[in-house]
Formats: sequence, structure tokens, C-alpha cells
Amino acid sequence: MNDMRLTERAVDSKDVKIAARKVQVFYGETHAIKDVDVDIDDKTVTAFIGPSGCGKSTFLRCINRMNDTIDVARVEGDIHLDGEDIYNPKVDPVQLRAKVGMVFQKPNPFPKSIYDNVAYGPKIHGLAKNKAELDEIVERALRRGAIWDEVKDRLQEPGTGLSGGQQQRLCIARAVATEPEVLLMDEPCSALDPIATAQVEELIDELKQNYSVVIVTHSMQQAARVSQKTAFFHLGYLVEYGETGQIFTNPKDSRTESYITGRIG
Amino acid sequence: MSDITATDAVPSAPRKGSLLEQDARTKRRNAAETRFKMYGIIAVTLGILALVMLVVSIVSNGASAFQQTYITLEVDLPEDRLDPEGNRNRDQMARVSTFGYGPLIGEAMEAQIAALGIEIEELGNPGDIVSKEAPAQLRNFVLANPDVVGSTVTFEFLANGRIDGYMKDRVTRATALLDKNVSPAQLDLTDALGEAGVLEKRFNWAFITAPDASGQRPEAAGLGVAIVGSFYMMLVVLILALPIGVAASIYLEEFAPKNRFTDLIEVNIANLAAVPSIVFGILGLAIFINFAGLPQSAPIVGGLVLTLMTLPTIIIATRASLKSVPPSIREAALGVGASKMQTVFHHVLPLAAPGILTGTIIGLAQALGETAPLLLIGMVAFVREFPAGPPEGFFDPASALPVQVYNWTQRSDPAFVERASGAIIVLLIFLVIMNAIAILLRRRFERRW
Repeated sequence: MNDMRLTERAVDSKDVKIAARKVQVFYGETHAIKDVDVDIDDKTVTAFIGPSGCGKSTFLRCINRMNDTIDVARVEGDIHLDGEDIYNPKVDPVQLRAKVGMVFQKPNPFPKSIYDNVAYGPKIHGLAKNKAELDEIVERALRRGAIWDEVKDRLQEPGTGLSGGQQQRLCIARAVATEPEVLLMDEPCSALDPIATAQVEELIDELKQNYSVVIVTHSMQQAARVSQKTAFFHLGYLVEYGETGQIFTNPKDSRTESYITGRIG
Repeated sequence: MSDITATDAVPSAPRKGSLLEQDARTKRRNAAETRFKMYGIIAVTLGILALVMLVVSIVSNGASAFQQTYITLEVDLPEDRLDPEGNRNRDQMARVSTFGYGPLIGEAMEAQIAALGIEIEELGNPGDIVSKEAPAQLRNFVLANPDVVGSTVTFEFLANGRIDGYMKDRVTRATALLDKNVSPAQLDLTDALGEAGVLEKRFNWAFITAPDASGQRPEAAGLGVAIVGSFYMMLVVLILALPIGVAASIYLEEFAPKNRFTDLIEVNIANLAAVPSIVFGILGLAIFINFAGLPQSAPIVGGLVLTLMTLPTIIIATRASLKSVPPSIREAALGVGASKMQTVFHHVLPLAAPGILTGTIIGLAQALGETAPLLLIGMVAFVREFPAGPPEGFFDPASALPVQVYNWTQRSDPAFVERASGAIIVLLIFLVIMNAIAILLRRRFERRW
């Protein structure tokens, strides 16, 4: 909304967290992602925008190897996290996903208590030695998810009983509870009303202090509001990648301009 | 978008027909809908009618099996006839067969008639109204308690099947005239004994606890062995089919790659579910009895055959309930770094559990009512001995509830009609209980997301 000051938004040059080179994704015969090169910075919010079916979610799911769960999906090319190839056969996707958390489009809390939702990740990764430590981790995660005050009195109630916005923040808390280094968000606000969206966006802004956040969004306003860097995908290609201010005010590619001004998409 | 060019003028007449009357097309559509509803109501009514007729006919035929006529007699047990040696040695006393005990009952009956002052002509042997089971019952008692010889003991004997039939309005004086097993005089005696309170009809626990009896003694036939046999088989099915079925479904649904081979397995499982059950009986006969050498008529073989038959049902139900767990739950678990197995066991399986349990219970209920394969593996045999306790009992001969029904319907004595219907009632009660448990489990553990 108030994307008037975009050009003034400073982007400090930061370390590269994720480096992707010549990434190709195939779904069976379909070539969904073509030759994507991108460097994602640490402690930055990077937004992926583009029309439906352009491959932005697919690319996002490559970063924590969620595409592995789809039988027909095949990924080629290199993606490096802190200089390590995540598609190296030695890499166990389970360990990778502990480092690269994910928040999904639809809030998907486990049908368990709020406490168990958040505690599940730390438990399976053995992050807590005892109950007290686990309690602490859960509280910290829920605070970071900006939902602690709303749920602290009813931690044993089912997570599915919360409102949509609360559920999504619970899912974010669940994702940060395992202390990831990267947080992937696949249209986290598409199922939320504007108030919940604002809360989640505020949260994303805080999260970038500690994490590298990658967010896929359909809302260009949202991309402009929360991100420092923006990548525009179209028909499986990464068309343009740069600082958010530049992409929205002075796109280099004509396709980006068309999309931003609403002529394609 | 906002092309609101509202004019004050309201159209004076609708352009195309009035909304207040239906046009021909709408009328046709509504008529079709009404007709369809009628078909549905007719179908449901027919179904309910069939169910009501089934229940009414079974209950009206079978309810009387739970009542039985008993005669109370005081029987003298003279030493000179039961223990000629006089030393109460069990083995020597056993030389006196049931034929030696039969007359004692006749005499006790005569004494009872004399004591009550009943006089009936052409009665013949009054002991005939007592069941043929009675001498054996008396002999077993005496052999178990040799010390009672020489005293007088009060006994409750089953009445003969025809007398029992008379008490249940199955036998009348008109039919008794044509029947060589019963005479009108015996019916008169029955009335007289009934008035005196010596003969009475009451609830028949023996129907549920006693073993089967021969075709001559319908009044003594019970479901005990069949219930135990069915229970053992259900145990075998549960122990084998549940883990195997659930493991197979989890592997196929969650882990197996989707390729031609797994497609083939899938198709075969679906086909197995439709294989006639008697084919499983032949398979069981060939593999478990002829090849593996397991005993005939044993619940273990029945259980194995029924396991084969139930597995496809359980696998299909389990896979359906695993499929119905939303993929978002799996993604959520994988997203926080759970392994595939953790995802399945921590999240997917608990959510699918009610469906799995329901499928299992329905599979068990199906197996409980299955007759055809059991006929082929010899469970149709006449078994009077109770099988031992598990696990040895799994290898002892036993019967099964549906087979017992089949068996009884083959016998000529009309008293077995009520027995068979009574057995069906017991079977249906078990099935209803199992289905009720399935529904309760589903209600209790069903989660929404």
C-alpha cells in the first residue's frame, strides 16, 4: 500500500545464503522450471512473484526438497545452502528440512494440542533435554510467532480450533521452533483476512532479523511491503531478480513491467 | 464495472414470461425431480420392508429356542442296579450303560404320577416324555459322584423335543395322532404335570452353553462349541489380518513407488476382495490341510482361511482411510523435518485409525458370518467336545456359528427349525454388536480438520 518509499529502501549487501544455478524441474514430461539462477541473501526477505503456474512455488519447494515427495518430480542443477549442495546424495532431506523450515499456503496445524504442534519439531530433532527446556522452546517459538499472548492460557486445546490467522501464526511458530536458518513461505496469507495478513506480515518483518525468509505471493502489494528483494517468474523462467524497489519502480524486463502493471498474469 | 444507469421507470411488464407461473421446461424438470424422489422412497421402503420381514420371521421362529421345557423328578438310585459290586469303584460302575439308567427315569416318572394321583389311559411308558439325553445326564452325574448311589436325588431333566414343542404350540393333539414319537395321552400327562408344577418352561442357558446334540435330541442341542469355535477363529483373524493388512496398506500407500508392479498388486487386491469365498475354502484345504498338514475342523485353519478372505477388505479400507488423511498433514510433518516413517506413524496413522478399526471390524463381521469356506475344511463336522483353551484349542475340532445354522437346517426333526433360527439370532446379535462397536469407534475418534 504505502509502497511510495520503495526507492528509499536500503538493501545492505549481505552474505548469500542460498545459491541456485541452472535449476530445472520436470513434472513427468512437463518442464516446470527452466534454468533458474538465483542468489538468496541471509537475513533478508525475498519475494517470488509471478502469475499462477509460473513455477515460483515449485522452485520454493526445491529449496527444502519437498519436491522429493512427489514421485514424478525431477530436479536438475545445483542448489547450495551455505556452500553445500543440498542435492548431494549424502544429504538427508530430513536434516535439510530441519534447517530450512516451511510454512504452507493453507494453515495446516496438526490435529493435536497447540503445545504439541510446536513441540513436535524440537522433540523429533532432540532439541530439548527435558520438559522444562521444551516448555521454554515452545514459549519462545510461540512468542516469535506473535501468538503467545493469545494462546498461553490454552496450550492444551487443539490447534485446529484456532481462527485461520491464528492457525497460520501457529504454523509459523511451529516452523521456527526447530531453529531453522531459512524460512520458506508459500503464499502464507492467501487464506487470511486483511487483519491476519497484516499480523503475519509484521511477523515476517521481525523474522528477517534471524532468518533468511523466502516468500511466494500473489499479491504484489505484499511483495512490495515485506520484501527487500523480489524475483519475477514467468512460464518457468526467472525473468528478473533484483531489489524490490527497483523491480517495482524500474523493471528492466518488459514482461516484469507488464505483470506489475497488470497487463499479463 | 460501475455502470449503474438507474432509471426511474420500472418495466411495466416482464420481458419474457412471468416468474409467477412456471414454463413448460421448469414443469418438466420439477416433474422429473418428483419422480426421482418417488423412486428413492420406493427403494428405501422396499429395503426396510425386506429387513422387517427377515427380522420378524427369524425372531418368530427362533425366539422359542431360548426357552426350554424342564421336568423335575426325584430319582431313586438303587445300589443293586448301578453298582452291583457295591464298592463304588468308578470303572466298575461304568459298565452299567445308559440303558441301565433309562428305566430308573421311567420308574421315577411313574412314582411322580402316582404321587400326584394322575390317571391317564394308554399312556405307555411315561418316561418317554423325558429327553433321550436324560439317562446319559443321570449316568454322568452318578459316575462323577459315586456316593449318591443308594439315595434319592432330585433332578431336572429336559423334556422330549415333542413335549417341548407342545409347550411352544408347535405340536398339537391333531399332529400328535399322526406322530409315532408322541401320543395325545402323553400331551395329557404334560398338561397334568404342568399344572402340578413338575414340568415348566423357562430360559434356556444351555442353548448358548451346551454343545451340539444328535438329530434325535433337538432339545439338548446348543451353540457352545460353535460360539467357542467362532471366537477362536475371530481371534486368529484379528491377530493375523490386522497387522498384515495394515502393514501392507501403509507400505503400498505411503512408501511403495508407483509403478506397473504396484499397480498390478493393487488390481489383484481389489480382485481378491471379489473372489467367491468358497474358492478360499478350496485354497485352505489344499494348502493348510493337505500341504501343511494342519488338522481338519480346527479353528486355526478356519482362521487362516478367513484371514485370507478378510485381508483384501482390511487393506482396501485401510488404504481408503490413509488416503483420506489430507496431504497437508503429511506436508506439515515433512516440513518440520519429520522422516517419512515419523510422518506416517505420528500423524497419518492416528488420523486413519478410526477408519482402519472400522474396516477391520467390518472385515471380522464378514468373516464371522462366512460359511462356505468352512464347509470345505471340515468345520461342518458334528463336534460334541469343547476345544481346549487357547492356544492348544486352536488345533482341536470345533464348529462355527454359521456352519451350525447350516447344519441344523439339514436335520429332519422340526424342533431344529427353532434351533437354527435361534442360532441366527445369536449370530445377528454378535454382528450387530460388532457393527455398533465400529460405529462407536468412528464417532469417538473421528477428527475434523
